[in-house]
Amino acid sequence: MARRSKLKTNDSALEQAQAETTLSRRTAIMGLGGLGMFGVLGARLYNLQVTNAENYIALSEDNRFNYNVLLPSRGQILDRHGEALAVNIPNYRVVLIPERTPDIDKALSEVRQVIDIDERALKRIERDLKSNPKFVPITIKDNVEWEQFAALNMGIYDLPGVIPEVAEGRAYPNDGIFAHTLGYIGRAGDQDIERDEDPLLRQPTFRIGKTGVEAAADKSLRGSSGRLKVEVNAMGRIVREWPDPQDAATSGQDVFLTLDAHLQKFAAEQFGEASGGISVIDCMTGELRTLLSMPSFDANLFVNGLTQADMDRLNNDPKRPQFNKVIGGGYPPASTYKMAVMLAALESGLIDPDREIFCVGKMRLGNRTFHCWKRNGHGPVDMRESLKQSCDTYYYEISQIIGISKIADMARRLGLGQDYDIGISGETKGIVPDEAWKQARLGASWRTGDTLNASIGQGFVLASPLHLAVMTARLANGADALTPSLMIGQDITPFESLDIDPAHLAYVRDAMFSVCEEPGGTAYRIDSLGLGGPKMAGKTGTGQVRGISASERATGVRKNNEVPWELRDHSIFVGYAPFDQPRFAVGTIVEHGGSGARRAADITRAVLSEALKRDGLGPRSETNPSTETL
Amino acid sequence: MVALFSSDNSSLSFRTKLYEVNWLLPVLVGLIGLVGVAMIFAATDGIWGRGAAQHALRLCVAGAIMIGVALTDIKVWYALAYPAYLGALVLLIGVELMGVNVNGSQRWLDLGFMRVQPSEIMKPAIVLALARYYHDLPRWRVSRLSGLIGALAMIGLPMGLILHQPDLGTTLLVGATGVAIVFLAGVSWRVIGIATLMASIGIPLFIKYGLKEYQQARILTYLDASRDPSGASYHITQSKIALGSGGVSGKGFMNGTQRQGEYVPENRTDFIFTVIGEEFGLIGSLMTIGLYMSVIGLCVYLAMQCKAMFAKLLILGLMTTFTLYIFINLGMVMGLMPVVGVPLPLISYGGTVIMAVMGSFGLILSAHLHRNNEFPRGGFG
Repeated sequence: MARRSKLKTNDSALEQAQAETTLSRRTAIMGLGGLGMFGVLGARLYNLQVTNAENYIALSEDNRFNYNVLLPSRGQILDRHGEALAVNIPNYRVVLIPERTPDIDKALSEVRQVIDIDERALKRIERDLKSNPKFVPITIKDNVEWEQFAALNMGIYDLPGVIPEVAEGRAYPNDGIFAHTLGYIGRAGDQDIERDEDPLLRQPTFRIGKTGVEAAADKSLRGSSGRLKVEVNAMGRIVREWPDPQDAATSGQDVFLTLDAHLQKFAAEQFGEASGGISVIDCMTGELRTLLSMPSFDANLFVNGLTQADMDRLNNDPKRPQFNKVIGGGYPPASTYKMAVMLAALESGLIDPDREIFCVGKMRLGNRTFHCWKRNGHGPVDMRESLKQSCDTYYYEISQIIGISKIADMARRLGLGQDYDIGISGETKGIVPDEAWKQARLGASWRTGDTLNASIGQGFVLASPLHLAVMTARLANGADALTPSLMIGQDITPFESLDIDPAHLAYVRDAMFSVCEEPGGTAYRIDSLGLGGPKMAGKTGTGQVRGISASERATGVRKNNEVPWELRDHSIFVGYAPFDQPRFAVGTIVEHGGSGARRAADITRAVLSEALKRDGLGPRSETNPSTETL
Repeated sequence: MVALFSSDNSSLSFRTKLYEVNWLLPVLVGLIGLVGVAMIFAATDGIWGRGAAQHALRLCVAGAIMIGVALTDIKVWYALAYPAYLGALVLLIGVELMGVNVNGSQRWLDLGFMRVQPSEIMKPAIVLALARYYHDLPRWRVSRLSGLIGALAMIGLPMGLILHQPDLGTTLLVGATGVAIVFLAGVSWRVIGIATLMASIGIPLFIKYGLKEYQQARILTYLDASRDPSGASYHITQSKIALGSGGVSGKGFMNGTQRQGEYVPENRTDFIFTVIGEEFGLIGSLMTIGLYMSVIGLCVYLAMQCKAMFAKLLILGLMTTFTLYIFINLGMVMGLMPVVGVPLPLISYGGTVIMAVMGSFGLILSAHLHRNNEFPRGGFG
C-alpha cells in the first residue's frame, strides 16, 4: 500500500473521515460567511431605514409632490368713475386628455358638431396629439362662444376624455373707443422674459400687457402667482391636488384712468365716420378726461388672434385706425398757433396791441406773395381783431418784428414741441421750429418766409391734438404750466409756473372769447354751448395740406369738397369753458375735415357742453359772468 | 411506481416517508411564499388577477411537485444527476440557437406548450452534477488537476453559454455555486490560493474584454453614482428612496406612496423587496430576512444529518444558490451591488424560478428523508 494506484477509486475510512471533517469545517466557514453577508444587509437596511430615513422620506416627498403655478386674475382698467374699460371675461375652452379618451377621432368629430374647428386648428391638434405625452391635456379650442360651449356641456357625458374649462380672458367693451389708450395683452416674448424676471411670464397661457395702459401699468395689473401642491406619480401624471388657501394667487390691482368713459363715448359719436383726434383736459389738474383717436378698432380682435383679413383691412384703411392720432399725429396747427405769436408779441413789448394793420388779402416778401385766407382782406385789424377774425396778414407783419426765436420760445412755454410721458408710448413731440432747429434738422438756414409761415401755424410747425389741448389749458389756467396725466395715482410733480404776465394772458383770453361769443368771430354761435349761461372761448384753424400754386390762385382756388379727401384741409379747433372760471380745455383736429374749422368747432362745442353738464354746470346752475381772470 | 418510493437498503413505506419528511421546511417555505403573494398583491395595486393569484397558484403546484420530489428516493436523483445536467446544457445550447429574444437578451426557449428558461434549470442541475461528481471522485484526486479539470469544465461550460445570452447575474450565480461546492468538497488551500490569484488578474481583464457595454456601464455606475444621476442609477436611487422612506415600521400595508406612484420599476419582480421595505419598514425587512435565514439554517442542519457526500453536497450546493439569490437581489435593491437582474426567490413574481426553487427544496427534503442511505460510487448494482 506504499503507492496509490491511479485506479484506486475507493477511499479508506480515514480519508472519508477527513473529508467529513473538512466538509463540516468548511460548511462552518461558509456559514460564517453567510452570516457576515446577512449582517452587511442588515446594517445597510439600518442605514437606509433608520439613519437616513428622514432623508429618504424627504426625497420620497420630493418625488411625489410638484407645485403647479396658479395664475393670478388680472386687474381691471377703469375710468375715473369706475366704469370698466378692460375687463376679465370667462374664456371658454375645450381640452381633451388622450389617455382618457377611448376613441379620439370619434370624440373630435362629436365636438365638431357643436363647435367650429377650422382646418388649421385640426392640424395643430394632430401635431399636439403626436408630440405630447398621453396625459397632457390638448386644447381643442380657445375662446369658444357661449352657445357652443353650453351645447357641448349638454352632451359631455357621452364624451369621455373631453373636458370643458373656464379660464380667464380679456375683453374691451366700448367698441374700441379706448383701444389706443388701453392697448392689449399678449403672450410674453423672448425680450419680455429677458427684461422681467417674473416666472409668471414663462407660463404658456399667461398674458402680459403689450401696448398702452395694459403695458404701462402691467406690474400693478399683473398680480402675483399662487401655487398648488399636486401629487404626481413616476410618469408625472397628477394623482391628487392639495390646495392651501395661503397659497392662492393674488389678483392684480385695478387701475383707474383719469378718463371719463361717457364723455369719450360722446366725443366718438360726434366724430362719427370722421378721422382725427380730440383731447379734453381739466384746466386745474391737467387730468385727461378724453383722449380719443378716430377711427378706432376693436381690440378684442387682438385678444382672440387676428385673421389675415382683419390685418389687411386695418393696414389698408386710409384713415389708419391703428395709428394713435391724438397723441402721435403731427399736424400743422394753423391759426391756433396765433395765440403763441400774440403772447410773444405782448411779452416782448415790441408791438402795441391797439395799433392797427391794414389787411388787403396778401403781402409781398421778396419775390413771394403770402396770402391771407380772406381773398380781399380784412381791412384794418388790431391785435384782438386779428385773432377774432383770424387775419393772417397781421401775423405776417408782427412776426417779422418779433422774430422766430421769441415765437418759438412762447410756443414751448405753452406746451408745444415736447412730449409729456403720460404713460403710454406713441407721443409725438411735434415741431416748434426755429433757426437752430432748421439748421440741425435740415441743414439750412432760417429764412424770413419761414417765420411768416410759422406765424400762422403752417410751414414746419407740427402739433398733436394733445399739444393743442395742453396749450389751451395753460392759457386758460394762466398760472401753471400744466402737464397732462392719464392714470390716477400717477406721481405728479408740481407744475412749474408759466411765468407770463397775467395781464397779457387776460388779453389773449379775451380775444379768444370774441372768437366764439361775438358776432364776426370765426366760430361765433348764439349760445355756443347750448347751456344758457356759460360761455366759451376758443380759436379756429384750417390746416393746409396741399400747396396752392399761383395758377390755381389765378383761376380760383379749389374748394375742399372739390379735391380728394387726402388733399383737403384739416379742420382744427381749440377751446375752453366756462370762460370766467375755466374747467375744461379741448383740442380737436379733424383730418381733412375741410376749411373754416366747422367740423372741429362743432365737435368741440358739443363735447365741452357735455363735459360741463356732467360736471353739474347745466342750464339750471348759476354762473357769475365775470371777466375777472384767475 | 412503488419501486420509486422504496429503496434497496431500507424498506421505508410510503406512509412512513410522508411522516418522516421534515415538515418544518415546507412550512417555512410556504410562509415565504405567502409573503410573496401579499407583496405582489400590493405591487399590483390590490388586484388579485394581476399576479397575486397566479403566484399563489404556482406556489401550490410547485409545492406539490416539491413533495413529490421529496418522496422520490435519493438514488433516483443520483442517477439523474448527469442526465439532468446534460439536458440543461442541451437546452442552453438550444437557447443560443433558437431562443426567444426578450429585452435584448435571449434567455427563453419556446417549446410550444410552455416557455422554459434553461438557465433556471441549470442552477439545480449543476449542483446535482457537481455533487455527484465529488461523491464519485476519489479523495486524492480532489486537489489534483485531473480532478479539477472535470469540475472546471462542468462549471465553465454553462457559464460561458449563459453569459452569451447575455445574463451576467445568472452566470455569476452559477459560477459562485460551483466554486462553493468545489470548496466544500475539500480542495486544498494551495489550489484556492492559486485560483484567487488568477481571478484577481483575470476578472478585471474579463470585465474589460468579456462584458458587453451595458454590463460594463452597470458596474461603472455602481462604482460611481455621480456619473449618471438619472438613467441607470435612477432605478437604484428610487429603490433606496422607497426602502429608506419606510423607516422603522413602514407606511403600512397598501400605503406605500412610492409604490403607488410607480416610482420603482419592476417592483413586482426583481425589486419586490422595496415594497416590503416601504410598507413594513425595518421590522418587516428584518423579519423577511429572518425567514430566509431560518430556511438556510435549517437546511444546513439537515445537510449535516446526511451520511452520503452526495446528499450533503446536494443540500449545501442548493443552499448556496438560494443564499446567493437572496444576497445578490437584496444587495442590488439596497444599492450595494450593480443591477444584475436576479429575482428574490419565492417572493418575486415569476414562473420558472418558483419551479426551480421548489424543486430544489424537494431535492433537499429527499436527501434528508433518505439520509441514512449510503450508496457506493458510480451507480448501483
